[in-house]
Amino acid sequence: MKKNRVILGFILLAVALSLAGQERFRKAPPPPEPRQELKLPSIETSPPLTNGLRVSVIFRDDLPMMILQLIIQGGESSSPERSAGTASFAAHVVTRSTQSRSASDIEEFIESIGGSLSVSTMEDFTLLTFRFLDDYLDQALELLGQMILKPDFSEKAVKSVKSILSLDYLGREKNPEFVAYRHLIRLLFKNHPYEKMGFPREAITNWNQKDLLEFFDRYYRPNNAHLILTGSIPMRMATQKVSRVLNTWQRAELSQKSFPPITPPQKEKICFIDVPLAKYCVIYLGTVFPSYDFDPSSLSVVSQVLGGTMNSRLFMNLRESKGYAYFAFSEAVFYKSGGLFFVRAKVAPEFIYPSVQEILKEIRKITREPIAISEIDQAKSYLIGNFPVAIEQLGVFSEKISEIMAYDRGNDYWNKYYEQILLVSPEKVFTAAQKCFLQPPLVVIAGDKSVLTDRLNEFESIDVYDSKGIRQYTINKEKQ
Amino acid sequence: MFYKKIGVASLAIVLAAGNLLSQAPNKYAFPFSQVKLKNGLQVILSEDDSLPVVSVAVAYRVGSLHELPGKSGLAYLMENMMFSGSADVPPQQHFNNINRVGGKLNANTSEDVSIFYQTVPSNQLALVLWMESDRMRFLEITEDSLEATRKDLLDIMRQRRSVDPYLENQFSFDQLLYMDFPYSHPLLGSEDDLRTLTLDDVKNFYAAYYVPNNAVLCITGNFNKMKTMELVAKYFETIPRGKDSSFVPAAYKYVKKQVIKTEEDSLALAPAFYMGFRLPLFAPNDIYSLTILDYILMRGRSSRIMRRLLGLDNKIAYQLSGGIEKRRDRCAFKIFVVANNPYWINQCQNAVFSELDKLKTAFPSDAELIKAKNMFKRDYLDRIATTLDKAIFLCEQYFVLRNLDDLPLEFEKTMKVTNTDIVTVAHRYFTTDNSLILNVKTK
Repeated sequence: MKKNRVILGFILLAVALSLAGQERFRKAPPPPEPRQELKLPSIETSPPLTNGLRVSVIFRDDLPMMILQLIIQGGESSSPERSAGTASFAAHVVTRSTQSRSASDIEEFIESIGGSLSVSTMEDFTLLTFRFLDDYLDQALELLGQMILKPDFSEKAVKSVKSILSLDYLGREKNPEFVAYRHLIRLLFKNHPYEKMGFPREAITNWNQKDLLEFFDRYYRPNNAHLILTGSIPMRMATQKVSRVLNTWQRAELSQKSFPPITPPQKEKICFIDVPLAKYCVIYLGTVFPSYDFDPSSLSVVSQVLGGTMNSRLFMNLRESKGYAYFAFSEAVFYKSGGLFFVRAKVAPEFIYPSVQEILKEIRKITREPIAISEIDQAKSYLIGNFPVAIEQLGVFSEKISEIMAYDRGNDYWNKYYEQILLVSPEKVFTAAQKCFLQPPLVVIAGDKSVLTDRLNEFESIDVYDSKGIRQYTINKEKQ
Repeated sequence: MFYKKIGVASLAIVLAAGNLLSQAPNKYAFPFSQVKLKNGLQVILSEDDSLPVVSVAVAYRVGSLHELPGKSGLAYLMENMMFSGSADVPPQQHFNNINRVGGKLNANTSEDVSIFYQTVPSNQLALVLWMESDRMRFLEITEDSLEATRKDLLDIMRQRRSVDPYLENQFSFDQLLYMDFPYSHPLLGSEDDLRTLTLDDVKNFYAAYYVPNNAVLCITGNFNKMKTMELVAKYFETIPRGKDSSFVPAAYKYVKKQVIKTEEDSLALAPAFYMGFRLPLFAPNDIYSLTILDYILMRGRSSRIMRRLLGLDNKIAYQLSGGIEKRRDRCAFKIFVVANNPYWINQCQNAVFSELDKLKTAFPSDAELIKAKNMFKRDYLDRIATTLDKAIFLCEQYFVLRNLDDLPLEFEKTMKVTNTDIVTVAHRYFTTDNSLILNVKTK
C-alpha cells in the first residue's frame, strides 16, 4: 500500500513537473522573429506633360478606391506680405465652387462618388487630396479640371469662404493648443516668410479678390504643380486621362523664390498668451534651425528619446514621475528652408512653473549628457517598427507621399528609411541635439489669464500677450 | 510538445476553412479562415502581405448589457483592469512592450462586446499572443488595482459631468428609448454603483465572461499561417474553458406610443432635443433598408436632414448627430439637435418630421439611392482599410452574424435595397405615434 502511494506520488510529481515545463514559456516574453523586409509601393513618375505638369502613379491594387493629390508649389510662405493667409484662402475658394457647379453641387457630387476632398496649406506648398471609389476616376478628374480651369472667384464665393474660415478660426482660437502653436510660429519665424503660417483671424478681413487672383495666376500653373494618383491604374492610362482633362491648363514663367535664412531667437524667452475661458493650459516650447544644418534621421531619434511617446523622457518625468502634466511630447518638423523642433505639454495650472523648469532641464540634459546606447537603440527600434504601422493608414500614407513629392526627396526615399535610421550613431544623436538647441528655446504658455495670474508671478520674467497676440506687458519677479 | 500536436491538428481545419472562404464574391471582400480551439476560442486569420505588420484583436462577448442592476460600469472597469497586469506580465508592461517595438494598442467596450487590439511589426506577433493569452488566463485582480482603476474612472465621470452639456439628458433619453435596464444604462455606469463594486464582483465578472469560450481571437496581416497556428495553440489552447454564459437578453416588449418630455440642463448653452424611433425589425431585410435610409437622411453633408438643418445657406441648427443605432437585438433611430438660436428649436423639429414625411410620400431618385450606396461602400472600405480595422471588423461581425460565411451576403443585401424598400420602412417605423422626444431647455 505504502509502495503504491510512493509510486502515485512520483507520477503526480512527474505530471506536475511536466505541466510546469509546458507552461515555462509563459514566464518571459518570446524573442522576436527576424525583421521582415519593408517593400513599399513604388512611385513612378512620367516625363512632364506638354504644359509641364508632372504626373506620378503609386500602383496599389489592394483597395478599390483611389487617391488623387494635387501639389501646388506655393504655400503660406508665398502669400503676399500685405495679406497673410492668401494661400489658404485660394485653396478653399478653388475647391468650394466652380463657374458651373455651386458649393452644394460639389458637396453632393463628391459624396455621390463615395468620395471626400480635403485641402491643406503648408509652409511651402498647397495640397488638394481627393479620395473616391475607383469606378469614378473620370468624374473626379473632371471635377478637378473644373476647379483648376474654371474656378469661381465671384464676390459671392469670396465672401462665403471668408465667412466660413472666419467662423472656423473663431472656434479654433478657443483651443489653447492652437493659440500657443500659432504664437510660437509667429515668434520663432519672425521676419521670415514662414511667420505667415501664424496669421491672425483679423487677416481674413484683408483678403481680397485682387490678391486671390494674383496668387492663383502665379502659383496655380501646371509647371508649378504635381499630380499623384494612388490606386489600381497603369502609368500610361493615368497620363492619358490627366492630359485629356488638364491639357488646356496654361503654363507660365515661374520666378525663383529665395527665402532669407532662418535665425533662431538669441536669448531664452517666456511668453504667456491669454485664451479667455480656456478649460486647461498648455506649454509649447521650440526652436528653429536652417535647412543645411540638420540631419533629419538623427533629429528624429533625439525627438523620440525626448518626447516621441509615452515612454520617452518628458512624459515619464512630467506625468509619470511628477504628476504635473496630462501629456508631454516633442516633435521635429522639416520644411524646405529649415525646421522646427518643439515640445508640447498639457499641464495642471498649479504646475506651470515647475513644468517649464522640468522641460528646460530635460533639454539641457539631452544637449549636455550623451544618451545611453540602450536608450538610442530603443528609440531607433520604435521608429523602425512604427514606420510601417503608421503608413498602413491611408491618411498617413498620402501625407508622406505628398511630402516626398513636394520636397523632391526622390522616388525611393522611403525605401531608404530603415537604413537611414539604422545608421544613426550615438555621436550623431548628440551632435544633432546640441545643434538643435544651440540657441535657447522659446517658451509659450497659453491659458485663461484670469485663472493663472498668480502662477505667472512665479517666473523671473514673462511677456504677457492678449488673445490677439499683441504684447501687453512684462512681469518681472524682482520688481514685484 | 503537447501544443505542437494541437497546432498541427488545428491547422488542417484552418486550411480547409480557408479554401472555402477565400473565393471572394465581390471586390469589397477579403479572404479569411476560421477554426475553433478545443476550449471554445474562435480563431480567425486573414493574411495580407502588403506591409510587414500584423494586428491582433481579442474580443469578448461582454459589455454593459451583461451588467446587473447595482453593478453597472463593470464592463468598462474591466476594460481598464485588463491593463493592470497578469500572472507573467507586470502592470503597464503590456503597453510598454507594444510601445517599445513601435506598435500601437487600445481597447473598446460597447453594450455587447469588449475588444482589445494592437498592431505591431510582423516579427513581434508572438509577443502579442503571449500577453493576450496571459491576461485571458490569469489576470491579476487585486484590491490595489481595483482601487486605482475605480479612482481613475470616478475622476473621468466627474469631469465629464462637469463639462459635457446634454450628457445627463442623453442618459435619460436612452432610458426612454430602450426601456430595459441592461440596454439603457450608461456604459460608464453610475457613480454609486462604481463606488460599491467589490473585488468579488470584479473577479466573478472576469471568470464569467473573459474566458476562451466567450472570445474571438483575430489575427490579420503579414504572417505565416502554419507558424501562427502553432503559436496560437501554444499560448491559448491550454487556457481552461470557462462556464458557458448563462446570459439571456431581456425579452423585448415593443411599445408604440408617442412620448414627449422636457428637461433642463444647467450646462446647456442653447435649447436642444433628442428624437428617436424604436425599430423592432418586423421584417428580416428591414435592417438593410434602414441602413441605406440612414445614409439618405443623415450621412454626409448632402444628406436630407443634414442639408435641411446645416445647409450652406440656411443653417438653423448648431449641432446635429445621430442615425441608426444597434444594441445587440435592439435597433433605434436617434437624432440629437442643438438649435442655432432659442427661436429655431421648433423649426428644427418640424424640419426633421417634414423630411421623414417626404420619404413616405415620394420615392428617392435612383441618383440619390446610388449616392447612398456609394457612401456606404466608402464607409465599408474605411472599416476594413488597415489590418487593425479588418481584425476589429471580423471580431464584431462574428458576434453579430455567428457565421462569417454570411459576411459577403450582408454587403450584397445592402446593395440590393430598392427605392420601394426605403419608402416601406419609412412608413413602417417613422410614424408620429412611434416617436419619442426629449426637449432640453437651458437653465
